[in-house]
Amino acid sequence: MNTYRSQFTASLDGAKWAFSTRRVRRSDVVGISDRVEEARSGDLVLGRVEKIGSHKRLQLTSGRGSELYPEDLVVVACGDRYAPDQFEGIARIDRRSADLLASGGVLGQMRQKNGKMAMPTSIVPVGLLTDATGRVVNLSSYAETAAQPSDRPAVIGLVGASMNSGKTTAAAALTNGLRRAGHRVGVVKITGTAAFGDFNAYVDAGAHYVSDFVDAGMVSTYRQSISEIESALDLLLGQAGQANCDVVVVEFADGILQSETAALLRSDHVREQVPNFVFAVPDALSAIGGTTVLAEIGIEPLALTGVLSLSPLASAEAEAATGLPIWTRDALCDPAKANALLAGATSTAPLCEVAA
Amino acid sequence: MTAVLHQLEVPMRSKQSAIIHRPARGRRGLACWMVLPSRVAADAVPLIAVHGIQRGAYEKATLLRRRAEALGRPVIAPLFDQETWPHYQQLVRKGRADLALLALLEELRIEGVLQGPKFDLFGHSGGAQFAHRFAMLYPHLVRRLIVGAAGWYTFPDSAAFPLGLAARPEQRDDWGPRMAAGLERFLRLPIRVYVGEFDNQRDDNTRSGPEIDQQQGIDRLTRAKRWSRAVEEAAKARGFTPNVSLQVLPGCAHHFSDCVAHSALPHLVLPDNGDTDLSQTATLKA
Repeated sequence: MNTYRSQFTASLDGAKWAFSTRRVRRSDVVGISDRVEEARSGDLVLGRVEKIGSHKRLQLTSGRGSELYPEDLVVVACGDRYAPDQFEGIARIDRRSADLLASGGVLGQMRQKNGKMAMPTSIVPVGLLTDATGRVVNLSSYAETAAQPSDRPAVIGLVGASMNSGKTTAAAALTNGLRRAGHRVGVVKITGTAAFGDFNAYVDAGAHYVSDFVDAGMVSTYRQSISEIESALDLLLGQAGQANCDVVVVEFADGILQSETAALLRSDHVREQVPNFVFAVPDALSAIGGTTVLAEIGIEPLALTGVLSLSPLASAEAEAATGLPIWTRDALCDPAKANALLAGATSTAPLCEVAA
Repeated sequence: MTAVLHQLEVPMRSKQSAIIHRPARGRRGLACWMVLPSRVAADAVPLIAVHGIQRGAYEKATLLRRRAEALGRPVIAPLFDQETWPHYQQLVRKGRADLALLALLEELRIEGVLQGPKFDLFGHSGGAQFAHRFAMLYPHLVRRLIVGAAGWYTFPDSAAFPLGLAARPEQRDDWGPRMAAGLERFLRLPIRVYVGEFDNQRDDNTRSGPEIDQQQGIDRLTRAKRWSRAVEEAAKARGFTPNVSLQVLPGCAHHFSDCVAHSALPHLVLPDNGDTDLSQTATLKA
């Protein structure tokens, strides 16, 4: 094993640190190992950009996208990715070249890609970054610590029929509406791949607390164990409670057929933590099919939302077929309406008859 | 607080408090009058006092000033102007009076005038209409609700909105069901209703018609009694102990100044003990 420690950290100053590494204390990095084939999910990798492909920018820890140039040095995390509109890849590093699977800074080996995508940006791994003990620095060492809030916040889940069905737009709008209604709102993105797009969208919407699985020590939840993701959910909901949030919106990435999301929705533990869901769908047929799938596991969404809600005609079709209300982005942003959605999640008592 | 005061118009200042007019910010902003005691209690919960259709926000501030000083509690009296919010009593009509108040409160928190998310909400006449409907939509923001001499009410029943909480025919997306969603939390609020003993005459401002008269009665006194009872019954039906009381003010008619002059109304609105527990509610006397 070759590990170099002297004068090492200084040479990383010019490297671009990806958003996925945002929790890492850089002073911990004092060496580098060339055993890149041993990389596992969450390990920090120093790489050099070889050829620019589909991802032309790297999302930095500062929250902005940085244009990539050949020969750029980057610090990214080894990880898996599941994205039907982009790539599927696994946490495996080839010494000769690896693939930038996500612009948030996820490096691995692409297994398949959407037909619309160019080949991924290729990065030559220089080595795995190590700490003072010689161990490879891994994101799991930087997870939040467990909190024991006195009050448990109300929780609303946001699931979608597929990637790009409008989940993030809906979750951000609901966050904005609830915040303006006077709530302290937390948002937890519990599954997906490290990226700042959703994270920033929730901050922009006015969330008082935003976190994702990276804050629980994971670069991606694809191919992670369900129990580990359940623990991450507990951890991040606890953090949101510690931040005095009285309501938390939990976004599940991709669609309800995605393996981890599907398993989580069937988990008693998750259902106890997230008792109600809003369902984002791209069209009426997805609404019908999706609600059928959800009904099979005992979930009746509070409402439908997403891309569907842009179309009055599609909305009418979906409402007629499912009997569920359709919530537009504007409705979710309305404090009174968002508050009613939250209240409806915890109250089902019928009204009294008209007084005499 | 001092830095804030310097930027505001201060027409009346004493050793105990300042009454300040805060102009609206922007075309759709909400102006208000504020009573800011010189000494604010550490646990002071602000009172939002909403005017009737005469738009007497300044009157609310001045007549509640002494109690605000005595208790060290800020009083904010928003002014819903006629042009922007012609039907502010109904909250969700033109201009969205609810959103205007939420925005004002957020600005006041930023300026340091208000602390914390909760407040006591008081309204008289048209202001009482606003107050109870606001509390139905946003019960989590209200610590205590004082509903004075409303002309009519939204009942916690299945009549079509705005008389009740059911959706109106042909309205797929209505406000009644939204208020119904938060009804359980609303019914747990301490709610104090008052009305003048002589406020039993229908006048030009009393909304009337067969449906409303049958549901609520024909005058404010009857309507206050029926609404209080309906709220109490709705709470009981859900297994809650009602925390609603009705006080008929002896010797009083309708106007706020009249009620203040002939009763200890400011003590009901701003009680010594906070009055969130029904057992602590004092009976007002002339």
